[in-house]
Amino acid sequence: MDPVLLEVMKSMLTAVAEEMGATLGRTAYSPNIKERRDYSCAVFDARGEMVAQAAHIPVHLGAMPLSVQAALARFDHLEEGDIVVLNDPYFGGSHLPDLTMVAPVYLEGRLLGYVASRAHHADVGGMVPGSMPLARELYQEGLIIPPVKIQAQREVQQAVLDLITRNSRTPGERLGDLAAQIAAQRIGIRRLQELAHRYGTDTLTTYMAYLQDYAERMVRDLIRRIPDGTYTFVDYMDDDGFGTTDIPIVVTVRVQGEAMEVDFTGTAPQVTGGINAVRSVTLSAVFYVLRCLLEDDAVPTNAGIFRPVRVVLPEGSLVHARFPAAVAAGNVETSQRIVDVVLGALAQALPEVVPAASQGTMNNLTIGGVDPRTGASFAYYETIAGGMGASARADGLSGVHVHMTNTLNTPAEALEYAYPLRVTRYALRRGSGGAGRHQGGDGVVREVELLTDATVTLLTERRRHAPYGLHGGAPGAKGENLYIPAPEETLAEPLITLPRQGEAIVLPGKVSFQGRRGARIRVVTPGGGGWGKPRERDV
Amino acid sequence: MPAIVGVDIGGTFTDLVYRAGEEMRIFKLLSTRSNPAVAFLKGLDALGVPGEAIVAHGTTVATNAVLEHRGARTALITTAGFRDVLVLGRQNRPHLYRLSFPTRWVPVPDDLRFEVRERVSARGEVLLPLDPEEVDRVLDEVVARGAESLAVVLLFSFLRPEHERLIGERARARGLFVSLSSHILPEYREFERTSTTVLNAYVSPIMARYLTSLQEGLIRRGHTTLWVMQSSGGILTARRAMDEAVRTILSGPAAGVTGAFHVASLAGYDHIITFDMGGTSTDVSLADGRIRRTTEGSIEGWPLRVPMMDIHTVGAGGGSIAYRDPGGALRVGPESAGSEPGPACYGRGGNHLTVTDANLLLGRLVPERFLGGRMTLDVDAAHRVAEGLARALGLTVEALAEGVLQVANARMEQAIRVISIERGFDPRRFTLVPFGGAGPMHGMALAEALGIPRVLVPRYPGVLSALGLTLADFVRDYSRTVMWLLHRVTARDLESALAPLLARGREELRDEGFDDGRIRLEPALDLRYQGQSFELTVPLTTFDPEGIARAFHEAHERRYGYARPDAAVEVVNLRVTARGVRPKPSPPAYPEAPSPDPGDARVGQQRVRFGGEWLATPVYDRDLLRPGHRLRGPALVVQEDATTVVPPGWQGWVDRWGNLVFERG
Repeated sequence: MDPVLLEVMKSMLTAVAEEMGATLGRTAYSPNIKERRDYSCAVFDARGEMVAQAAHIPVHLGAMPLSVQAALARFDHLEEGDIVVLNDPYFGGSHLPDLTMVAPVYLEGRLLGYVASRAHHADVGGMVPGSMPLARELYQEGLIIPPVKIQAQREVQQAVLDLITRNSRTPGERLGDLAAQIAAQRIGIRRLQELAHRYGTDTLTTYMAYLQDYAERMVRDLIRRIPDGTYTFVDYMDDDGFGTTDIPIVVTVRVQGEAMEVDFTGTAPQVTGGINAVRSVTLSAVFYVLRCLLEDDAVPTNAGIFRPVRVVLPEGSLVHARFPAAVAAGNVETSQRIVDVVLGALAQALPEVVPAASQGTMNNLTIGGVDPRTGASFAYYETIAGGMGASARADGLSGVHVHMTNTLNTPAEALEYAYPLRVTRYALRRGSGGAGRHQGGDGVVREVELLTDATVTLLTERRRHAPYGLHGGAPGAKGENLYIPAPEETLAEPLITLPRQGEAIVLPGKVSFQGRRGARIRVVTPGGGGWGKPRERDV
Repeated sequence: MPAIVGVDIGGTFTDLVYRAGEEMRIFKLLSTRSNPAVAFLKGLDALGVPGEAIVAHGTTVATNAVLEHRGARTALITTAGFRDVLVLGRQNRPHLYRLSFPTRWVPVPDDLRFEVRERVSARGEVLLPLDPEEVDRVLDEVVARGAESLAVVLLFSFLRPEHERLIGERARARGLFVSLSSHILPEYREFERTSTTVLNAYVSPIMARYLTSLQEGLIRRGHTTLWVMQSSGGILTARRAMDEAVRTILSGPAAGVTGAFHVASLAGYDHIITFDMGGTSTDVSLADGRIRRTTEGSIEGWPLRVPMMDIHTVGAGGGSIAYRDPGGALRVGPESAGSEPGPACYGRGGNHLTVTDANLLLGRLVPERFLGGRMTLDVDAAHRVAEGLARALGLTVEALAEGVLQVANARMEQAIRVISIERGFDPRRFTLVPFGGAGPMHGMALAEALGIPRVLVPRYPGVLSALGLTLADFVRDYSRTVMWLLHRVTARDLESALAPLLARGREELRDEGFDDGRIRLEPALDLRYQGQSFELTVPLTTFDPEGIARAFHEAHERRYGYARPDAAVEVVNLRVTARGVRPKPSPPAYPEAPSPDPGDARVGQQRVRFGGEWLATPVYDRDLLRPGHRLRGPALVVQEDATTVVPPGWQGWVDRWGNLVFERG
């Protein structure tokens, strides 16, 4: 192995994934994809092992390899010019809005590897606009796509496009996003072929393997620096939206030498509401923690990172759900708690490195209905930032997305141009970060007025269980969801039965209801946990 | 053309280029960091610049005020409910995989961010009128808390600027320096507009003080005209730069790119990729007959949505340090040895192998001719630091040095791919123009990797920024968000909406003394498919909406590989660039070479390693080369501030401007 070529191929292969991402991010239609960068791209070797991934959003980290495996399991041979699309959470996907494309890359008849891209599409049907419903089973969450060819031998398959767009409330947008994703695949194919031309097919494929060994060595080096031992931690999901509350996620991390085992035995069984995480989501969360501990962005994200780590997932549990459990929020909410427990365990081993809990939710808000200005249906989905946990090194940041997501907000002015909505407040939630030697970051208050009647869905967490502090630091403040009715609004179910707080109705963490024109939704997000005793704080 | 002197103040050197007719003089002196005007005026005196000369200045005063957090005490007034937009930003954290972050610097602290009750809708209707009495109360508080400068950013103010203007008038009456978002950046997206307006408020008073004191010194020497370089590569009067200093914050690399573009265009090549390699970083940019610009700049994570050159920067330069990581890969940068202690071969205590050391070990630098012989490079020191690393990696010192260049070049190659291929341009149709201290050493190797057929090394690669200042056009930029559906508007709508921007441009340039024959008005539209949220700027060649749509589909196809001719097109922003065209120089009177043989300019020979082999390589002195001389690789061309490495397989000539032009084969 040549240390020079290793470094050169590392930057070249990562650049392939990044160039795919640049194409996808810039040409897509969904605000989810463009403004919020809810997408990922990756390169795989001929065996389907991941070689490099562009860093866009962590929740896709562990999921992309399973997509390629699913495509290969379904089609034992993919030909040049084929592109497979899928979203089945139980067969290569994570939750239904995430559509993944996989394409083989050939040069002169020889398989070089695969390229894959995954993007969160704003609507794939199901019970509510935005396809992030409060559902009881997968079938209610939207269109399920097993691995199918959306392009076969260079021909885009119109029937597949029709099937997907017909199942979406926003077909034009789907078409644009799918075109952008196909364009990204084509860019990836071309770039990988160019690399093979330039360095030779043998060199390219050899170094694809070397790069996995390289990442493995980097992770082993990291694990070696973690003190040997057994570290256990438990934290809870608030509820599933269907009456099950305080749902434990338990992890035991065993470190010995260069190897690590992350064992979720003891975690609650899967539940009715869609906070179940499929295996790929849990792997992503564990993968994310390792990446953070590496503190080196230049290590390629690939299959090698996982080799020294054994992840034990009890089947049928919240962290490894069985078909057909609903999963929409497992990806966005439960993944955050999985990070919290893995970090909570590692905090015992690495007190100087691991921070207190961050807001631990993405505060998913979906508003959909018919836009009175155009008569067309709309689906607006956003996730809202909160406080970051403090650490031995620093206070937590305020008003940022944490851990498994890093998507951008939609500017108020962009939102008001595009949707029958008005933002009435967007502010820091002062004092919500946990006290400590280092203070947790503050959460956010975001208030949106409905300019038309609409279906509102909230999938949020940390409304019952606060983000934990560490080493004497206080927990961050819990979040809150409020509904301020329109003047003279007559309330219906479920709003009429809910508790009040002045003029406002206190909404549960997970809820779906009809909002009226003139009413306001106020989402108050959690603060981060504090680190160290407050009296040790430097003033 | 009138006499002009370009003065570029960098971190280490202050460069001056004086031009009058065919005459050109150059001077370089050490910058005076505490008061940059000292070196500035000293340089003018040393060059003997006559009082009637125009003074064109490239300054990083505004840049440094931001980087060092030394701007004016600035307050911000926003629409009620939105005073935290500045800190919330786009709610993303700066790095994906970090568990903690240092606390972020915010240009306006919490106690200086104020709100007023008012609201304008997305259609420009006033939903809640502004109460002047409330404005007065808030402004009293702004003043009481000691603010010197005020930024005002209200929602949708670009549709209805009246509320901002009312606050502005009353604030000016209180002696505040005022920046209104509807003036600085009348475009939608409140965070980016806030950030840009706040940074203008933060740096403008500092810039005003600096330029005012500089002007005093200039007026004593008879200079009445002072111009300042903007981030866009266009010139602005000092008076405007004091009010709109935000337009200069990213101007550092702009003059160099402008210089490179003019030098190459005069030589006959206007499709160029510039490659400016310095000690710690490398800037690349592209011009396809015009310099590509963008409005997506930022500084310290704060967006600046004013036009700037589309420059891509990578953290790899001559001082970048090589090391072996725990996984066994050879890494180069982003740590840099900087100028102190500098590379090991500087002999000032640097004990890490850098890119410059690697170049030296491969014979690509002439040790006794570095910086015109003012500094001798220590080959042994470079060798010593290389040996340990080579052993650890299982390589010979030569293979390691070659590897360091390969790794550094791979990074720079990616940077060029970003600004060319990712933007829809094929680098094989361009000429590479390397400059900066290290650019000409790496230029041809990079050109080879990217299939670029031609490399032009300017006569003075080390003072290209100062030269660019003397050549740049005078430029004003205007924009306005409209958010129209293209198929719903007529040619008349577009014409009448653009008319005020065009009129403003023409007037301002006339005020600066440009007659109509030298004024170019360049209207453009920011367009996208309805529902997208990135726009493409498309030059406006017709007011006909169908023609505009066609031009957009083509631009989209080229940039992204597809178009959707059936989809609705949205007009997001109107733009006008008003350009005051400056006269271009005639060629200098270099004596022609008597024959193509450059033997007279040959000053030595040394072993240089190319492609794994040591080759006997002649060394030429750039100052002795004349137009008409021809060179063939392998060769080295040395001059005071740069060394040009010509690998085997490249041949070139000196053109009548003194540039070195090389081609493959």
